[in-house]
Amino acid sequence: MSDDVLLRATDIVKSYASRTKNLGLRAPNRAVNGVSLDIRRGETLGIVGESGCGKSTLARCIVQLLPVTSGSVEFNGVELTGLSRRKLRPHRREMQLVFQDPYASLNPRRTVGDIVADPMRINHVAGHDEINDRVRDLFVTVGLDPNSLRRYPHEFSGGQRQRIGIARSLSLNPSLVVADEPVSALDVSVQAQVLNLMADLQEKFNLTYLFIAHDLGVVRHVSDRVGVMYLGEIVELGDAEALYETPLHPYTEALLSVVPELNDTDAPRRERILITGDVPDPSLRPSGCSFHPRCPVATDICTTDKPAFIELKPGRFVACHHPRNVDAVAVTLSPAPTPPP
Amino acid sequence: MRDLKVSFSTRQGVVRAVDGLSFDVGAKEVLGIVGESGSGKSVAMYSMLGLVRDANVEITGSVKFQGREILGLSDKEMQSVRGGEVGMIFQDPMTALTPVYTVGWQLVEQLRAHNDMTKEQARERAIELLAEVGIPDPKSRVNHYPHEFSGGMRQRVVIAMALSCNPKLLIADEPTTALDVTTQAQILDLMERLQERHGSSIVIITHDMGVIAEIADRVIVMYAGRPAEIGPEIDVVRSPRHPYTWGLLGAVPRADVKNRRLVTIPGNAVSPLAVPEGCAFAARCPHKMDICDQRPVLRGANNHLDACWLTDEQRLAIRSVATTRGEA
Repeated sequence: MSDDVLLRATDIVKSYASRTKNLGLRAPNRAVNGVSLDIRRGETLGIVGESGCGKSTLARCIVQLLPVTSGSVEFNGVELTGLSRRKLRPHRREMQLVFQDPYASLNPRRTVGDIVADPMRINHVAGHDEINDRVRDLFVTVGLDPNSLRRYPHEFSGGQRQRIGIARSLSLNPSLVVADEPVSALDVSVQAQVLNLMADLQEKFNLTYLFIAHDLGVVRHVSDRVGVMYLGEIVELGDAEALYETPLHPYTEALLSVVPELNDTDAPRRERILITGDVPDPSLRPSGCSFHPRCPVATDICTTDKPAFIELKPGRFVACHHPRNVDAVAVTLSPAPTPPP
Repeated sequence: MRDLKVSFSTRQGVVRAVDGLSFDVGAKEVLGIVGESGSGKSVAMYSMLGLVRDANVEITGSVKFQGREILGLSDKEMQSVRGGEVGMIFQDPMTALTPVYTVGWQLVEQLRAHNDMTKEQARERAIELLAEVGIPDPKSRVNHYPHEFSGGMRQRVVIAMALSCNPKLLIADEPTTALDVTTQAQILDLMERLQERHGSSIVIITHDMGVIAEIADRVIVMYAGRPAEIGPEIDVVRSPRHPYTWGLLGAVPRADVKNRRLVTIPGNAVSPLAVPEGCAFAARCPHKMDICDQRPVLRGANNHLDACWLTDEQRLAIRSVATTRGEA
C-alpha cells in the first residue's frame, strides 16, 4: 500500500439475514455488496447515492462500527477487521464520525462542553485543565462562543449543533473524518456555513474526509473524488469534476440529468433521463448488473453477466458493459484540477 | 390573497408567522413560494385553507378564490372548498394517508364526499386516477395499504387524491422534499403533465430553488413571514434583486456547473418572536444602511418587486464586486 493511501477497503460485504417469509429461501440482504476503495491522505472522497443504497452502512463498516461480513479494511497499513475492541481503540481515535441528525447525535442530558470533552476524557489524552482549555479552543475553531460550554444541546440551533458535533469529532486530532449526511438536515444558508467551515478545518488540520450525502450538488462541491453507489455497490468512481462533466455509468448520467437546475445561464439544460420504477429490494438483487431492470441502455449481457469494476480511463473506474461518454472523457481528463490557494 | 397576517400568542410573546403577504395566482399558473424553515410559507397556505386551528391564532387579511372570500368560512363551507376545488399535496405522503385503510378506500371516501357517486362508480374512478398518476397495475394496487407502496408511489397516491375532484387550484407543500432525486424528477414530471392536461393552477411551496426553477412560472421569496422578492421565475433566478435572494442562490452547491466558494448568510434566521420593525433581514444583511430601520415596501417594475432599500446603482455595484470575487 503506497504512502498516500490512508485507508484501503477491499471487497467489503455487509449482509443481514433477512427475516424468513418463506422458510429462509430468500437470499441474505446484502446492504454492501463488495465495495473496494482507497481514501488518499488529505483528500475528500464523496460517496453519493439514493436512500437505501448502502452508503451509511458502508461508512459504518469502514470505521468498524459495524463488523463486516467479509472483506478487509486497512487503515495506515494496519488491518482493522478482526481486531479486538481493545486493539481497535488506538486506531478508532484516528477516525471520527459526524452524523446527520444534530438533534439525535448529541446527548440532551450533557452540557455541550462535556460532549466535546468526553472523547478526550475516555481516552485519557490529557489532564483536566488541559482538556478544558482544548474544549474552549475547539469551540472557537468551529465558530461557537466558548462561554456557552455549560449549556445543553437544546439551547442551540441546528447549524450550531452540527458545529458541536464537528468539534467533538476533532477533539482527538483524527486523521480521517467520516461525515454521514452532515448538512442534509440544515437550511441552505446554514448548510453553506457548515460546508465552508469543513473546508477550512480540512486545510487547517490536514484532515481526510469521507463525505457521504445524497445531494449531488453538495458532493460535487466538497469532493476531490466521487463514488456513486447503487444497491450496495459502487458503480462509478472518479475525479469529481470529470465524473460530473462526463459520467460513464448510465445511472450516474441519469442521476445528474434529473437534478433540478437553476437555469441561470443560457446554457442548454442537460437532457433529462427519467429512470422508471424504484430501487429493488436488496434481498431480491437482480441478476447480472444490479441496475439493468431500470437501465435505458441495457442489453442481454447485462441480465446475465455482472460487469467488472475496471479503470476504464486513467482515474475513472466504472462497472458497466455499456459505458457512456467514453470518447468525451479523454478530452476533459487532461490536468488534475489544482486545489484553491 | 391580500395582506394576510397570521400571528400566534404564546407565553413568550406574539409570533408573527406571516406578516403581510399578498399575491395573485392566475389561471393555469404555477406559483412557487420559496423560503427557509420558519419563513411562514406553509403557515400562510394552511391558514388560508382553515387548517390552522389554534385558540391563540389571529388571522387577518383577505383571500378570494374565484371571486369568493374564503377566509373565515365555516368549517362546513370550507370542507367543500378543501379537497374539492382546492386540492392539497403534503410533504410526507405517509402522514397524508391513513395507514389503517387501503388506498382505494381512502380515494372512494374522498370521491363520495365531494361527488354524487355510488361506491362502484367511485371505485372505478379511483382505479382510473391511480392509472393516471402512473401506478402500475392499478386494479390490484387499489386494494393495497399505504405501507405496501414506496415513497414515490405513495406520493403518486396523494396526488391522485388531490386530483380526484378536478381542483382548480392545487397546493403542494414540499411535495418532493422527502423523495430521492430520481423519484423527485418523476413526480415533478407527473405534476407538469397533469397540470397541462387539467389546466389547474399550482402553488408549490419549497425550500429548493432548483425545484422552483424547474416548474414555477413566478416565484415569491419569503423571509421571516414577509415577502422579500416576487417576480417571474427567470428574472428572480437570473437577476435577483434582494440581498436575501442573492444569499439564497449563492449558498446552493451546484451539480450542473463547477462550484465557486459558497456565499454564506451570516447568523441564523431571525427569531419569529423578535422580528424587527424595520427590514427583517437587516441584522444579517451585509449591505445594511441606516434607513433599514424602517420597513421597506415592495416596489419594482415589470412585475418584479422586492422589499429592499438599496437603489439600482447600489445593487449594480454590489453585484459586480460579487462577480469578480466569483460569488455571483
